[in-house]
Amino acid sequence: MTVGDFEHKNAARWAEYEAVVTSMEKGKPMGEVDQLPRRFRELCLDLSLAESRFYGERLTERLNGLVIRGYKLIYRRRRGGWESVVRFAAVEFPQAVRRDAALFWLCNAAFWLPFFAMMFSAHHDIAWIQSVLGAEGMASMEQMYGSKEDQIAFLRSEYGSNFMMFCFYIFNNVAIDFRIFAGGMVAGIGTLFFLLFNGLHIGAAAGYVNHAGNPESFWTFVAGHSSFELLGMVCAGMAGMRLGLAILRPGRMTRPRALALAAKSALPLIYGAALLTFLAAVVEGFWSAQPLPSAVKYSVGITFWVLHAVYFLFAGKGGARAA
Amino acid sequence: MAEALPRLDTLQTVELADGVEIRLRIAGPILRIAAYVVDLAIRIAALILIGVALSLAGVAIGENVAEGLVLLSYFLMDWFYPVVFELGKRGATPGKRLLGLRVVQSNGSPITLGQSILRNFIRFIDGMPLFFYAFGLSSCLATKRFQRLGDLAADTVVVYDRLAPMPVLPAPPPMAAAPLTMALTPDETRSLVWFRDRAGLWSEARRAEIADQAAHLTGATGQAGVTRLMAIAHWVQEKRKNH
Repeated sequence: MTVGDFEHKNAARWAEYEAVVTSMEKGKPMGEVDQLPRRFRELCLDLSLAESRFYGERLTERLNGLVIRGYKLIYRRRRGGWESVVRFAAVEFPQAVRRDAALFWLCNAAFWLPFFAMMFSAHHDIAWIQSVLGAEGMASMEQMYGSKEDQIAFLRSEYGSNFMMFCFYIFNNVAIDFRIFAGGMVAGIGTLFFLLFNGLHIGAAAGYVNHAGNPESFWTFVAGHSSFELLGMVCAGMAGMRLGLAILRPGRMTRPRALALAAKSALPLIYGAALLTFLAAVVEGFWSAQPLPSAVKYSVGITFWVLHAVYFLFAGKGGARAA
Repeated sequence: MAEALPRLDTLQTVELADGVEIRLRIAGPILRIAAYVVDLAIRIAALILIGVALSLAGVAIGENVAEGLVLLSYFLMDWFYPVVFELGKRGATPGKRLLGLRVVQSNGSPITLGQSILRNFIRFIDGMPLFFYAFGLSSCLATKRFQRLGDLAADTVVVYDRLAPMPVLPAPPPMAAAPLTMALTPDETRSLVWFRDRAGLWSEARRAEIADQAAHLTGATGQAGVTRLMAIAHWVQEKRKNH
């Protein structure tokens, strides 16, 4: 059979197939759509034949293109709806965090050790904190947590400033999470760097206010959103460390393979980190600066921390048994 | 593991579950840089437009709200512009689309949300140092399928979406058919067939020059080699008994 014979014999079939595919690509399926899988398989066979008989580039390119178009249609995925979002928040995310308990503690250590070291260094020598914050950092800490109780609430009294700060926290803090994750790609160094850096910086800020400002205005402000924000950051760190560890220690797989698998398993951690940090922005934007008694703010903050502990310890336990 | 023979082109063969092999043409870094520049221009233009529109709207909705929305659009443009577009039906950002590129899984199927997020968030590292994409470019050049680090983690590749058909202009049909005298690999046979399909595009001298590369197959050089090579290609395509 020559090229011409082969084309002539099958031209009608290919035209029908192409008509169905074109109509589906335009989003207006017509004709025998249910026939698509069968026609697709036939076309696959035609392509194999054309390849093995060396019918030439013109024909194989054409069939190859037709097969790819059908493949894209048949194998497209349906996105999960709200159900999968709820399932993620209630089951998959806490499970993913528990699965990597060691990384959880590692990332916590990378943040909290420099944090406390910095904060308590104020008792011995304020120079460390001064050099970390710099003149500008110290000035802005003074402005926010300098002396008066309700300074922050006053700064936020202008119309729309709560919303503006909420957007700023998304823009800044969620982006930090994403960078912490991406930093894992350089063998985890980037992730650890960002965690340590944030630990140092936030610890220095806390130490400075304790030393020179009004600690109550600082701690009442951060109490509400601290659990969301810091745990979100830790989860982003876990996701980054998964990448880093896959590069450093791929085990019996090739590095690209180990990396791709680790990246896939890091996804729930990234989603979770983004979700927690988004919630942190909501709390920080609309709650933390409210002029309310300190006792209320501290108890809300402690409640959130306890709820987080319960969530990460117990949520999705039943699902794990069912799975 | 046996090392595959070096390939003659950037075609990537992928075997589908349906048992057939399709060929993806992987896009190289130059085109992807061009697509990135186009996307960058679009993003900057969009941000300027949004900025102007919001600062006008700021009179009505309040300056603080407008400023917040500007920050939010910065954030979305920075992290989610490529994620959203690559998830779309065309699998490409506007810049990639303009250059005829598309992001697919390394097995040729459309990418998932997770893959889109992975490859575009890791862009932050690919872009280092200083947004010159040195990491991404080195990774592109060091991998077989031109993958930057984000592509490696997400298991994706950037391919030509719809190829312009390769120009085919066969020379006049050969008068004779000559059977093969030695076994050829599929790749070699394919080159032989391509030679015949495209011979009409070249001058006599160029044809002879190319045919001389296969002198050990034809046993002749110059014009005689061309004639003989065409005869063999004719035999392979049409006269050989197909099993």
